[in-house]
Amino acid sequence: MKEMQEPEIQGLMINDVYQGMKERNVKDSTDKLAAAHVTIAGAGGLGSNIAIALTRIGVGHLTLIDFDTVELSNLNRQQFKLSQVDMPKVVALKQNLREFNPFVEITIHQVEVTHDNVKDLFADADIITEAFDNPAAKAMLLDAASEFYPDKPIVMGTGMAGIHSSNTIITKHPRKNLYIAGDGETKGAEGLMAPRVMIAAGHEANMVTRLILGETEI
Amino acid sequence: MVMVNGEQEYGVVGQTITEFLTQRSAPIENIVVEQNGNIVHRADFDTTKISENDKLELISFVGGG
Repeated sequence: MKEMQEPEIQGLMINDVYQGMKERNVKDSTDKLAAAHVTIAGAGGLGSNIAIALTRIGVGHLTLIDFDTVELSNLNRQQFKLSQVDMPKVVALKQNLREFNPFVEITIHQVEVTHDNVKDLFADADIITEAFDNPAAKAMLLDAASEFYPDKPIVMGTGMAGIHSSNTIITKHPRKNLYIAGDGETKGAEGLMAPRVMIAAGHEANMVTRLILGETEI
Repeated sequence: MVMVNGEQEYGVVGQTITEFLTQRSAPIENIVVEQNGNIVHRADFDTTKISENDKLELISFVGGG
């Protein structure tokens, strides 16, 4: 009788794929990352880039929230494909993330985040990640998160427009459990392009990673 | 005197948070207000007053993402 075969991915044993993908991760980070649940509010320029970074390093569970669909004007900075125009962003992003790392559990909600649903949407998050475009939505989420989940870290972004110096984008830590990345000034109306948006997204993703691994300082 | 984002400010004691932000022409909906280390929830902006020696931090957000 034929022996039970270990499941394969692209002709490789599943465990070899998992271990191989983690080989260049920072020492002792993999298990902590795999145990973490990060919820990302917004799947646009910030959210799609943050989600890809966290997926690649193997954060175990990601929840993606966005009400919107992919538009042509998104493609200069958001991690979607021309073939995904008109798809719900969370559906398209999940599809892309699965290709980068099939070991991440991904939950999606196609819904607008409001003060009334923050309590439910972020209940199972270890870390809340804000990645909205709209400044009022950013303020609303911080307000509601501090009301319902004052002990959960929240990582946010503000100011990443234009073609200003990369070095004006920093991460600040204005109060306990609050981290804000960006230049704090430049508004979206100036134009938003992948390079600078990705810098801010990188700041947010790295802060999330640091928090998961026990680093609470910026 | 109260401290607003680390700077001294006079003449605002007794104002509500809404009055204070309106007077500064600040975009209220884009701002989170911290009063003496605690976040003042948006629903309380109309009823929360500024007292002498308060420390206010205005956490402002701009669009883009």
